[in-house]
Amino acid sequence: MKFLLNIFEKKIKPNFEEGGKLKVLKPLYEAIENFAFSPAARTIQAPHGRDALDVKRYMTMVIIGLLPCTIAAFYFYGLRLLPMIIVSYAAGGAVEVLFACIRKEEIQEGFLVTGLIFPLVLPPTLPLWMVAVGVMFGVFVGKELFGGTGRNVFNPAIVGRVFLALAYPTAMTTWVATGKGLFGNMFKYVNAPPAAQAVEAAKKLGEVATETANASQAWYSDIIVDGVTSATPLGGADVSAVDMFFGNVSGSLGESSALMIIAGGVFLLMTRVSNWRTVVSILGSAAVMSFALNKSNPDEYMPALNSLLAGGLLFGAFFMATDPVSGPITNAGKYGYGILIGSLAILIRNFSAFPEGVMFAILLGNIVAPILDEIVFSIRFRRLRNEG
Amino acid sequence: MKFRGGYNITLQGRPSKKVKILPEPEALYLPLESKRFDFTSIYVEEGQKVDTGDVLAVDPGNYDVPLLSPRAGTVRLSSTEGHIVLEDISTVDDVPDYDKDSIPHIARQMGASGEMRHKLLALGAWQFFRDAYTNELPDPMGTPQAVIVSTLSLDPFTARGDVQFKNRLLQFTRGLEYLQSMLEYQPIYLVIPKSRTKFHDKVKDQIRGYAWVKLIEVPLEYTRTNFNILARNLGLKRADGPIWGVKAGGVLAVDRALTHTKTSLVRIVSIGGPGVKTPEHVKVMAGYPIARIREQYAREGQMRLINGGFFTGRMLGEDEIGLGVEIAGITIIPEHTEREFLGWLRPGFDRSSYSNAFLSTLRGKFAEKFTTTLRGEPRACVSCNFCEEVCPAGIMPHLIHKYLYSDMIEEADAARVDLCVECGLCSFVCPSKIELREEFIGAKVFIEEEKAEAEAQRIKQEEAVQKEQERRKESSEENLY
Repeated sequence: MKFLLNIFEKKIKPNFEEGGKLKVLKPLYEAIENFAFSPAARTIQAPHGRDALDVKRYMTMVIIGLLPCTIAAFYFYGLRLLPMIIVSYAAGGAVEVLFACIRKEEIQEGFLVTGLIFPLVLPPTLPLWMVAVGVMFGVFVGKELFGGTGRNVFNPAIVGRVFLALAYPTAMTTWVATGKGLFGNMFKYVNAPPAAQAVEAAKKLGEVATETANASQAWYSDIIVDGVTSATPLGGADVSAVDMFFGNVSGSLGESSALMIIAGGVFLLMTRVSNWRTVVSILGSAAVMSFALNKSNPDEYMPALNSLLAGGLLFGAFFMATDPVSGPITNAGKYGYGILIGSLAILIRNFSAFPEGVMFAILLGNIVAPILDEIVFSIRFRRLRNEG
Repeated sequence: MKFRGGYNITLQGRPSKKVKILPEPEALYLPLESKRFDFTSIYVEEGQKVDTGDVLAVDPGNYDVPLLSPRAGTVRLSSTEGHIVLEDISTVDDVPDYDKDSIPHIARQMGASGEMRHKLLALGAWQFFRDAYTNELPDPMGTPQAVIVSTLSLDPFTARGDVQFKNRLLQFTRGLEYLQSMLEYQPIYLVIPKSRTKFHDKVKDQIRGYAWVKLIEVPLEYTRTNFNILARNLGLKRADGPIWGVKAGGVLAVDRALTHTKTSLVRIVSIGGPGVKTPEHVKVMAGYPIARIREQYAREGQMRLINGGFFTGRMLGEDEIGLGVEIAGITIIPEHTEREFLGWLRPGFDRSSYSNAFLSTLRGKFAEKFTTTLRGEPRACVSCNFCEEVCPAGIMPHLIHKYLYSDMIEEADAARVDLCVECGLCSFVCPSKIELREEFIGAKVFIEEEKAEAEAQRIKQEEAVQKEQERRKESSEENLY
């Protein structure tokens, strides 16, 4: 690979250096060069060597963690996911590169994760232009306005998701049936069904119909389906926990199969890239909350197990709430954050107009995170005051 | 004893227990500056002939700690900048010109203890002592609240305590006795590893008879033997007076000075790291030419020589020609030259990590060949919390970094950046490659200066107020008459 490195360093690089024609795009060039070849930088101070983990690898781990549910999404909903992912990366990446060039800073790898997570929380048949609008809004408002990766208050993917859910409630609640058999929908391109068909398909499945005729009316009515997720099984229909576990329920692309989410999520926990405290406290509090509700009125509230497997709870807990930047930075704060998200998600599901609440719960959690941190800081500072 | 954080790396090239005596050099290059000392008062002249143990210079800022001549020879002052050069070296028997009459009045007043302390200072044994909290040279005539003796050095690689006093256990215990006799009732803490080797059992047996020595067994994990951390864990407060910290080599130097009235100019130093051909310990004196060591020990290619260990050592620059007086180990690491194709995608069997993001996790412990690569590009903090998890001081490096980044100095002070022990673990594990250690060292100095300035201002103001009051008083008294 020496010759390639030579081409990079001798032929291409001068164009982007001071005085080169493409100086403005220097961050883009640097990102590509350091993507291909590990950076040349040396330590100049102690410690003289560094841990092998860098942010690129860190984010790569998250992407590997997302692979199982991405593959499941291909199986259940077909090839349409591919253009959605490409559009998401291209549109969001453009915003990221633009801001890096304006700020004259490096392109940060955090976007690699946002770009993949975002299509996974969308309905399978969402028009591509909406994917583009959503991810650009998410990256711009959710991240760049706050100063870029590491400084964002909200999870950019959720910001984009919420924006789409509020702006295009109809499209965001149009679900299709999952593929079945050996290959499922793996080699099919499942397109958006006409509105009427969608309703029919939904009815056929014995699930909650999506009110498409009048979006604004639907907004206030109880039957609209929403959420980080397919709230489809949340509407009250009897979907077995087994189906939800393996993914035989329609919903957003990435959150169908609980099995695949758990597989990828546990992998992330094992690599120490995501923090188990958040995941455990979200799932634990959600389980306790839904168990209590179910015990109080079994007819009205679904069993705790179904509640955990349904909708976007697992996906949110494993992949979205664990975003270290928008969550609390202290370990103690993570427990509080998780408990808040888990119980809020169940409360929103059962006591509000929205059948699904994970998205809003995480957004609220993001808002509360700095406060939780401040509390932990003040306790720790007090403890440290008399040390040494 | 409950410890926080800590982390071990397995660096390739661990020095063996063998101690080799390096060949005599033609000339010695004694640096006038080292980490703690600055030998500015030079006692010798150009061309002067000196004997082994003669005082070449002293550091007036550090209780006149002497720079002693390790060999007999001829002094050259101007040939190499920043160094005293000794030429025509010969080994003459170590006959120090220790003069009893030179004992200063203050030491005399302290009686036997004062004389001993003065001897330690004059014979170069006092250099081995440091204050546990400040890392500075303690006042030899001061009274410590405790003494911590550590036989371990866990920063890879510095001279191991067990190698240093393996065959000199008797001298070591005698050195401890001397230390005790200089104190009144203050405790001596002896830090030994929590392991069950024959040697450690022997040490324990030896020490058992000394009621005034308190044994502390610590796990063999990096930063467990940091004097600052030990002092904090023992509940010793900074405000209650100095705490002397000394390693095995220092205790042996004490014994040598007080039993034989001899200097300890030859040290046992480790030479290790992935860039070393035969990692081992060597007996070497200050001023030994670094080039000779590089020639004999460093592998082919670009190598970085580090004065000290991997985590806290200082790069030996081009302008440093001889070993300093404080050297405890030389670590040699290959410079980073090869850029890996798609490095971030590799499974990583050959690279260990604090995270488990590489396949090396499945491999267990192995000696890793570190180079000086930063292994990534500097990025914004992603709040992964690794730095806080490894921090032995119990502070929050990521938070302090954010405070310092936005110039919130007061907040950084409240977050106790001053507790940082500069172990370098946070910088090591940071996936965003932020130079946390360096940032904190700078912040500590800055805050200390600010505080000193504020204090000086306060005193000045008080004095002014007092003067004003006196003046008024006088004038009112005058008015009375």
